[in-house]
Amino acid sequence: MVKKGMRTNLKVVSIILLSAFTLATIASIVFSNSDTIALDENNCLSCHSNLNIEKKSTNGVLISLRISEKDVNRGAHRYIDCTTCHTTKPHEAKPALTKQSSAEKCGTCHKYEYKVHTQSIHGQQLQQGNQDVATCVDCHSPKADAHSVIRVLEYGAPTYKKNIAETCNKCHGNTELMQDYGLVERVYESYMRSFHGKAIGLSGYDITQLDAATCTNCHGVHDIKATADPTATVAGMDNLAKTCEQCHAGAGAEFARGFLGHKEASPKNIPIAYYVERFFNLLLLSVLGAGGIVLMGAVVRYSGNRWRK
Amino acid sequence: MATITRTDEAEKVQVEEQVTRFDVHQIIQHAVLMVSFILLVVTGLPMKFSTAGISEWWVQIWGGISNIRAVHHTSAYVMVLVCLYHLIYIGYGMLVKKRPFPMWMVPSVADFVKLFQELAYFVGLRKEPPQFDRFNWREKFDYWAIFWGMPVMAGSGFILMFPVFATKYLPGWVVPVAYTAHSHEAMLAFTWIFFIHIFFNHFSPSVYPLNKSIFTGKVPRERYIKEHALEYERLTRVDEEKPEKEAVGTITRASQ
Repeated sequence: MVKKGMRTNLKVVSIILLSAFTLATIASIVFSNSDTIALDENNCLSCHSNLNIEKKSTNGVLISLRISEKDVNRGAHRYIDCTTCHTTKPHEAKPALTKQSSAEKCGTCHKYEYKVHTQSIHGQQLQQGNQDVATCVDCHSPKADAHSVIRVLEYGAPTYKKNIAETCNKCHGNTELMQDYGLVERVYESYMRSFHGKAIGLSGYDITQLDAATCTNCHGVHDIKATADPTATVAGMDNLAKTCEQCHAGAGAEFARGFLGHKEASPKNIPIAYYVERFFNLLLLSVLGAGGIVLMGAVVRYSGNRWRK
Repeated sequence: MATITRTDEAEKVQVEEQVTRFDVHQIIQHAVLMVSFILLVVTGLPMKFSTAGISEWWVQIWGGISNIRAVHHTSAYVMVLVCLYHLIYIGYGMLVKKRPFPMWMVPSVADFVKLFQELAYFVGLRKEPPQFDRFNWREKFDYWAIFWGMPVMAGSGFILMFPVFATKYLPGWVVPVAYTAHSHEAMLAFTWIFFIHIFFNHFSPSVYPLNKSIFTGKVPRERYIKEHALEYERLTRVDEEKPEKEAVGTITRASQ
């Protein structure tokens, strides 16, 4: 009897130990934080990670001063201390960064990229005070915020090749905004209909698969020019052909002439492509329509025959 | 040439008579065409519907876009080769084997009449379906559709595979034209084969669920009489004047 009781006790103890171990394992997985910790030499985040840290600006608007710890821990600059950008006396720094001053800030280290950007259509517009344009953080951060800038090769990065078209589409898909600049083409949709867009869309995230052209491969990266600019990589058939040749070895102007120019085929834009499409639509409608009628007829008759049996 | 063979199973009274409808070349041609077609469809559809979530998943199953593209291109070459094989087979049959021109495949006014007769039967305006010769109008349509579809698909596919080469000799617009033609014609072929061809050849009540004749070359005699009444009658009609020639086909009784 005693022996049997002991065995029961052992069973109970082992069950308790086992479940405790399982719970501990699950808990350690659930609550573990495997993120790297951003460099924060002056413990700025001890205050600035608070949810409700805010201040009233000179014109009476409440501004949140909160910095997401999660973002800076994941950010490309996680090992650059806050003071590198915010100066050694951040509380004395002039507030209210503008698009221009924020881009300049990036340019203090990323000199070449900044210089190239100032010559691009985005940068030129920025210097004229246009607040619509894309600057560094608009493309390099998922939140258009300097603290969450992530590296180009991260899958979630707006600048990762798989995501570039969507990133451009954030502004270029906004028809109202684009109308102000005379850009009426539905560039994202036409790109996704094209071979390049389909290849990128189907390719998954493996960088070796992402070998088709996206927006930046033809239009440039930091140095994007307006298509009306004669120095643009896509201006005129000769420039366009040279751009095609970067991937399609030996492509000439005739090859470039086959490009629909981000527009649908129409009587004005490669009319033959438009009429061939119309012809096939008609062919499909008539052949499949006739086939469908015969098929439906057969289904009805065969079912009827069976019903009567 | 259809031959009608009759096999008695040893010691059994059951007699299953089969009519030979297709020769080994035709069986191979259909099988290779079918396999390459299915491969082309399963590797081409994700390209057509690239924004559907399942497409990216399906491409990744194949190990990425370069793999699925390689399968698509290889199947395309196989399909072109099997079509050439068929043309050589027809030419060889006529020139070397001195077979008559396969007139039974040529569309005629009778086919259109039978189309409407069949429709009339389907909607109940006729009591009996029309009687067919060796090939009914649907089979002829399926056959001749390939003569339209293959040049369109192979031609446009070639341009899309080698756009730089194509635009060296042809104007630039051939590329967008090839793109739209390839995509539309593919949908036409796919929809027709998977709905109409499969329905009439496999799901119609007399053959459901699978018509094996294109794989074995043989059709049970009972079914042949029903589906190809005119041809059967022609084959079995004994010529009164030349009885030794027994028309076109022969009925042989093979017992074990």
